[in-house]
Amino acid sequence: MESVRFNFPAPEIDQSVDELRKEVRAFLDEERRSGGFVPVTDCWCAGVDPAFSRKLGRQGWIGVTWPRQYGGRELSALHRYVITEELLVAGAPVHAHWIADRQSGPLILATGTEDMKRNILPRIAAGECFVALGLSEPESGSDLASVRTRAHRVEGGWEITGTKLWSSGAQHCQYMTVLARTGERDPNRRHEGLTQFLVPLDSPGVTVRGIRDMSGVEHFNESHFEKVFVPDDAVLGQVGEGWKQITSELALERSGPERFLSTFVALERALQQGAAAMTGHQAAVVGSIIARIRALRAMSLGVAALLGQGHSPEVEAALVKDLGTRLEQDIIERLREFWPVRMKQGYGDELQYLLSDSLLRQPSFTLRGGTNEVLKGIIARGMGLR
Amino acid sequence: MGFDMEQTDQLILDTAHRLFTDQCGADVVNGAERGEAPERLRQAILDAGLTLAWVPEAAGGVGGSLALGLNLIRQAAGFALPVPLADALVANLLLAESGLAVTERWAALAFDGDELPVLLQGEVNGVVAAAAGAPEAAVLVVPVTEKGVVKIATFAPSTIEMEHQESLAGEARTRVILKSAIPGQLSGPVDGMTADGLKQFCALVRACQIAGALEKIGELTVGYVKERQQFGRPLGKFQAVQHKVADIAGESALAGAAVEQAVRRVSAHPEPFSGDSDIFLPLATAKVVASEAAGKVTRDAHQAHGAMGFSFEYPLQQYSRRVWSWREEFGSEFYWSERLGMAVAAEISALGAGEVAGCAWDAVSR
Ligand SMILES: Cc1cc2nc3c(=O)[nH]c(=O)nc-3n(C[C@H](O)[C@H](O)[C@H](O)COP(=O)(O)OP(=O)(O)OC[C@H]3O[C@@H](n4cnc5c(N)ncnc54)[C@H](O)[C@@H]3O)c2cc1C
Repeated sequence: MESVRFNFPAPEIDQSVDELRKEVRAFLDEERRSGGFVPVTDCWCAGVDPAFSRKLGRQGWIGVTWPRQYGGRELSALHRYVITEELLVAGAPVHAHWIADRQSGPLILATGTEDMKRNILPRIAAGECFVALGLSEPESGSDLASVRTRAHRVEGGWEITGTKLWSSGAQHCQYMTVLARTGERDPNRRHEGLTQFLVPLDSPGVTVRGIRDMSGVEHFNESHFEKVFVPDDAVLGQVGEGWKQITSELALERSGPERFLSTFVALERALQQGAAAMTGHQAAVVGSIIARIRALRAMSLGVAALLGQGHSPEVEAALVKDLGTRLEQDIIERLREFWPVRMKQGYGDELQYLLSDSLLRQPSFTLRGGTNEVLKGIIARGMGLR
Repeated sequence: MGFDMEQTDQLILDTAHRLFTDQCGADVVNGAERGEAPERLRQAILDAGLTLAWVPEAAGGVGGSLALGLNLIRQAAGFALPVPLADALVANLLLAESGLAVTERWAALAFDGDELPVLLQGEVNGVVAAAAGAPEAAVLVVPVTEKGVVKIATFAPSTIEMEHQESLAGEARTRVILKSAIPGQLSGPVDGMTADGLKQFCALVRACQIAGALEKIGELTVGYVKERQQFGRPLGKFQAVQHKVADIAGESALAGAAVEQAVRRVSAHPEPFSGDSDIFLPLATAKVVASEAAGKVTRDAHQAHGAMGFSFEYPLQQYSRRVWSWREEFGSEFYWSERLGMAVAAEISALGAGEVAGCAWDAVSR
């Protein structure tokens, strides 16, 4: 019988973690009060403010787990966890550097050349260099292994041609990690012959065009690569090993607090408005949401602890994302009972604005980073059903 | 009493696991409801000292941690134990905590989370609507209140008026009617124990049971959909079925994570039965999440099992009926959600405007 018993160990929270949390909270309180930022919902995708990212860089809160020689502070994954969750619940505009801090930095650290590490990582940690993800394409979504972007060997490097779609924030980024086909397509070995490249977005032949989303902002992009030359050392890791890297990267990005806290800022504001005249029914709705978030956080911290112990909890991470992203949506649907969501801008009413913007963004929660159907497939495989 | 899970705890859990595996098969569980009393199992549990897990060694018990007992309770629920081990553990814990003599036979817990019977001038009056374990008990353990202070009283079952009923799962739930009853033993005030704190702790006990049963339901379902073939393939090859199994895994994992966090918090707390706000949050969370999961998991599991899961013979129903009754006991998800929401609202209201940023987050992250 397959095991459906999961283990979510307690994180080791020492004093330095608590202190860091207090520091981050105090900084964010002060920034909000002084107008340094206006809280937004889904801030890790919708809040873009490169100047704010640089401020966080100056605080030393980006790339904290990386080696000192590359601009990091060699803190634990839990330190990073605490920083990110405090930023999320404050609704701080962190999108510009989010992907580089979470994903591209660690990828470069694991697979990049020494040059890349020395030149790029410190700039990421300073909040000055941002990286976009070039995975999806017009014809490749959930079936990512079918990407058509090609990289051909040329003298001294590679020439990349193809189109990447939906890449978040690319218009603010200096680089994109591009997944391209470097070997022939073999229907029996679909996952072979794929390679990741780190491509400077100012290279000749690159065009990036913003795409307006249903919430009204140009968040994601279509990026076209026309015979874009990159040198040999733009290859991340081994040629042909791109798929393996992507899957371990995705496991990392699935279980973080941004997978259940995207709409928390709206919940917090609603409670502030509703607390004084809270009815029993309202309290029951809010209480059940809070209980579920608490449980998800225990799971998510458990996955972080497992990662820290050197395990690869792929199924557990998929569980967090599947449950968490649906909860982010449910929060708004349930608050509607007490705060109907009608107006697009809220007209000065901060809660209305946070609720409506959450509603307009919520279809994306269960799609980005691998759809919930894909996640359920990973879970089912873990149960031995596939 | 040590409150942390220790290495010897694992040995005890392993022993109990062997005992349950050998003596608590599906036939024993179903048999118990058909009128075949599980005497051998009951005796084996007593012989192994499992009902005394929370009794200090000095008082003749195992001296186990809170974590040990709660994990034992979770594990036992994964066997649908037709024996009130969980409630006997709590009953003996109350005896030990209050300095009363512990019984080596079965102790029943006459407490269901509602108003405590009242002690006045040496006599106890009140009704406990759903006491657990009364039919086989040698002693009734009754938390009572005297001017708002909790004391523990014991009674010989033969001297007390009782109406026996059964839960959805056939577990004995007895109406205990105390009319000017004179306790056999009566403790002094129990340090750090409140009626609400006790209710919270018992809610965690039920949440642990639900978590253990849900894991078993998940295992039964995975096993079944791999075995059962339709349209020339195992059911588990159909994506619609896979997604149900993934949902079961998710809800069950969430309940498990909530319960484990609550167990850690209550274990680390100097007064685990006080209802202190530091333990209220994790305990309420555990009962809300586990009780919610009980409904979702059983629905998906029964759907995946087809008619087989609806038959008495197949074990699934023993677990679904149990979680359906446990989710209501000591407060359902609705009850604890409302209290949680009200507690957070009260904290926000208590702070002045301008200071309130982060209150809900504080209730999540502490
Ligand atoms: C806000 C946002 C930001 C994004 N940012 C980025 C980014 O930065 N970089 C990037 O590369 N991509 C990005 N994406 C793209 C995202 O990764 C894709 O949307 C996602 O992988 C799904 O692909 P698709 O949209 O083509 O949907 P499709 O794959 O076409 O799927 C459509 C529907 O069919 C379902 N489906 C597909 N295959 C199966 C199957 N085998 N079984 C059952 N159901 C199936 C899916 O679950 C989904 O419900 C972003 C998307 C959003 C919404």
